[in-house]
Amino acid sequence: MTKEIAETPGVRLPWAGKVVRMEEVEETLSYFWRMSADNVRISQNMNVRTSVLNFVICAQDIPSAQRASALLRNLSSTHIARVILLILDMSAESPTDVTTWATLRSFPIISDIMRHSFEQVTILASGAATRASASLIQPLLKPDLPVYLWWLGDPPQDETLLHKLTDLSSRVIVDSNTFLTPEQSVSTLSTFLQEAPDSALSDLNWGRITPWRQLVAQFFDVPAYKPYLAGVYNIEVEHAVAPLARHLASEQGDISPNPALALLLAGWLKNSLNWKVNGSEENLHDPETGTHIWNIVRNTGPLHMDIATKETTTKLGHSGRGSIQIRPRVQSGIQPGSLCLVRLSSTVENKRATFTINREDETDNVLTSAHLPEEGGTLPQRTVNVATPQDASILLHDELEIIGRDHLYEAALHEVFEMLAE
Amino acid sequence: MPQRSVVEAPNPLREGLRIKQSPEPCVMVIFGSTGDLTHRKLLPALYNLALEHPLPAGFSVVGFARRPYDDETFRKQALDSVNEFSRQKPVNPQVWESFASGLFYLQSNFHDPAGYEKLANLLNKLDQERGTSGNRIFYLSTPPSQYPEIIQNLGAAGLNRNRKGWTRIIVEKPFGHDLPSARELNRQVGKVFKEEQVYRIDHYLGKETVQNILVFRLANGIFEPIWNRRYVDHVQITVAENIGIEGRGAYYEESGAIRDMVQNHMLQLLTLVAMEPPIAFEANAVHDEKVKVLHALQPLVGRDVINNTIRAQYGPGWVSGHQVPGYLEENGVNPASTTETYVAMKLFIDNWRWAGVPFYLRTGKHLPKRVTEIAIQFKTAPLMLFKRSDAQGQVEPNTLTLRIQPDEGISLKFGAKVPGTDMQIRSVNMDFFYGSSFVRQQPEAYERLLLDCMLGDSTLFTRRDEVEAAWSFVQGILDEWQNEPRSSILTYESGIWGPQAADEFIWRDGYRWRRP
Repeated sequence: MTKEIAETPGVRLPWAGKVVRMEEVEETLSYFWRMSADNVRISQNMNVRTSVLNFVICAQDIPSAQRASALLRNLSSTHIARVILLILDMSAESPTDVTTWATLRSFPIISDIMRHSFEQVTILASGAATRASASLIQPLLKPDLPVYLWWLGDPPQDETLLHKLTDLSSRVIVDSNTFLTPEQSVSTLSTFLQEAPDSALSDLNWGRITPWRQLVAQFFDVPAYKPYLAGVYNIEVEHAVAPLARHLASEQGDISPNPALALLLAGWLKNSLNWKVNGSEENLHDPETGTHIWNIVRNTGPLHMDIATKETTTKLGHSGRGSIQIRPRVQSGIQPGSLCLVRLSSTVENKRATFTINREDETDNVLTSAHLPEEGGTLPQRTVNVATPQDASILLHDELEIIGRDHLYEAALHEVFEMLAE
Repeated sequence: MPQRSVVEAPNPLREGLRIKQSPEPCVMVIFGSTGDLTHRKLLPALYNLALEHPLPAGFSVVGFARRPYDDETFRKQALDSVNEFSRQKPVNPQVWESFASGLFYLQSNFHDPAGYEKLANLLNKLDQERGTSGNRIFYLSTPPSQYPEIIQNLGAAGLNRNRKGWTRIIVEKPFGHDLPSARELNRQVGKVFKEEQVYRIDHYLGKETVQNILVFRLANGIFEPIWNRRYVDHVQITVAENIGIEGRGAYYEESGAIRDMVQNHMLQLLTLVAMEPPIAFEANAVHDEKVKVLHALQPLVGRDVINNTIRAQYGPGWVSGHQVPGYLEENGVNPASTTETYVAMKLFIDNWRWAGVPFYLRTGKHLPKRVTEIAIQFKTAPLMLFKRSDAQGQVEPNTLTLRIQPDEGISLKFGAKVPGTDMQIRSVNMDFFYGSSFVRQQPEAYERLLLDCMLGDSTLFTRRDEVEAAWSFVQGILDEWQNEPRSSILTYESGIWGPQAADEFIWRDGYRWRRP
């Protein structure tokens, strides 16, 4: 199947290294290592070759692949052994074809004296070859190392392809901030997880909401506020959209409008508070404004456990009805999809409380406040920084350090799926 | 009816988050708030905690000192501190404004009871206005001579406990000048505060790499089985500084290397390396095991001190390309001073794990570079198949080095065959660098320790009996040194690794100091 490179001009990808036949990849890389060792001897650098993982990147076009390849220089400290950059040309008119490039990439770590190197193999597959992607990469994986798969953009409609690649992978990473159809793709992922329950899935957006989760949780670390967690009846989340509210893709691939972050945060809260969506017609999704409203049934708890001598019973906190609202806020100057507001309203024993995290301007600072009118008004507000790494390489770095499944993320994803299904 | 009890469940929103709990709103009162420690360490650490938001809303700081400042002056000073010393630069103006609104200043002498009454009123007011709920931390950042009167006045003003919230006190090192003064200080603290309220701080324990000693030992199955007298030949602990006394002559004259470094930092490192696994990673369980090590130290008394310790002062020389004066020529130093700037010693731990294994400790000022490391040298292979004549090289013992600072990391030295037809063996190092493996910025030691105190976790602080056990060991050395003539103090040229006698001291045992 490997293309006879010499016979056709083919695609030129100078950043991907030397064009090689697929069966010559290993031999070529060995040659590159020997060259590198010679360079090290001459320049007196130290070459750090620690092998920790295989990293497979799946892109659906060359510009996305090139962007992903560029950010790998920031991932050298994760000690990637080999990167396989798989470009799938799915267009119907493309002929069946496979082209392969290989290179050895080397970047300084700590100082210029010490360098980390990893191997990169780029494969461009088109036509029927795309369906054989798993077979293409399988022989190229370094043995006995975990495989991380980063799928760029929306998950494929062809679930077979994703399933085959997932079977090879220890962990699949997506970035829902770059989904062109966020609601549909989030649902696709949830379905995928249900069908492949052994797969570990993660989303760079889950890392982006971590500071917000910490701030929301922090309200209820205060003993005086903790009872109000059981009384939360309304959750409001706002996410940034670019002016004009039209579909827009930035240079980094961010899409506007994109409620994925807001949905994940709402899904996390819904799961943590043990809420159920009330399947009523009052639930609303207004495509014009981008507003979502769900009516829910609260079974909040357990916040206290009554421990009996012989039996353990759980006393639920409060129950009743409530709502989750997600709406866009037009705000230029910040990354589309970023969270702008989280507000939790609560009542306990006829005492009200409102907990708010609000981004008031274009900075990464938010104002947090707790308002309890029956208990002394508003306590001191404070400004804190919620800067999350916008650079995907930093979020990826964190993901590549995790082995195993993130059950909390998966639960939040399933909640989002259920909400969107209503 | 069965008896029922209500158990407070953890915050369900904390699941999966790295910080498992944030502290309750509280006030930190810093005594000596215009001093160097507050300026360089405490305020930058608190700002970083505010920026990364483990600090709760309403958190407040009250500076308590003699200088005629007001709130605004204190805030301005604090901003200067943060601008200069925070690891997070530039300062975020909005976060700073929010943090600074919780900074207050109270001018008073430490001996004036009226100052403590004013403090009590201010704290009550902050409880009302900022929701700090009676939770208080008193931080003693003054010269140690002022600790007793501050503690006594806090007690007299009823500030040592309150009905609404918790009260804790952080005591900076040095905790005592010798064993009797440490016991006396403990007694005075104990009269006013319960032991669980007292947090004796040794910032070394807040360093990530120091905490990693326990993780390295106890979270990896392969090291603990060889972590004993059967496999370990000897241990070297080095805490070297390239700086001198930096204008603190008066302080250092009263202290010296043994009080400044050995009694606290170095014995803490020793206990972490030598302790038995605790039954849980929880404050008292860890303290219990550390205290056992200190109690098991073979006491050095009388001639043992002379035979097992070296003390010296730095003379003139060159350090980091600069010519530096000798210790006796430094400002504030008595020209006939007997204060040591360098100590080397050999210790034994009399327990089943370590019996017969020498632990060599050395620390000094104006040494070639700043480095803290623990090196565990293992015994050689029982039978050397590769004779030296065949190997054309030197088979060195395996050494595991835990580097605390700088270049935090771990390295393991082992022998490897040099490629070729002959049997040549060379030692190679397998290195792990924190900096290259974890891109995440490490928090400053004070950030971790201040946060732990707010959360009521004293694992990384020192307990009363731990401090006294450490002093108890050091006291024997201090007593013997006092009886020795001035001439017994050696001199070493600044910029080298200590006096020649220290090299001879370890050569006698067939070893040599590592060159870190």
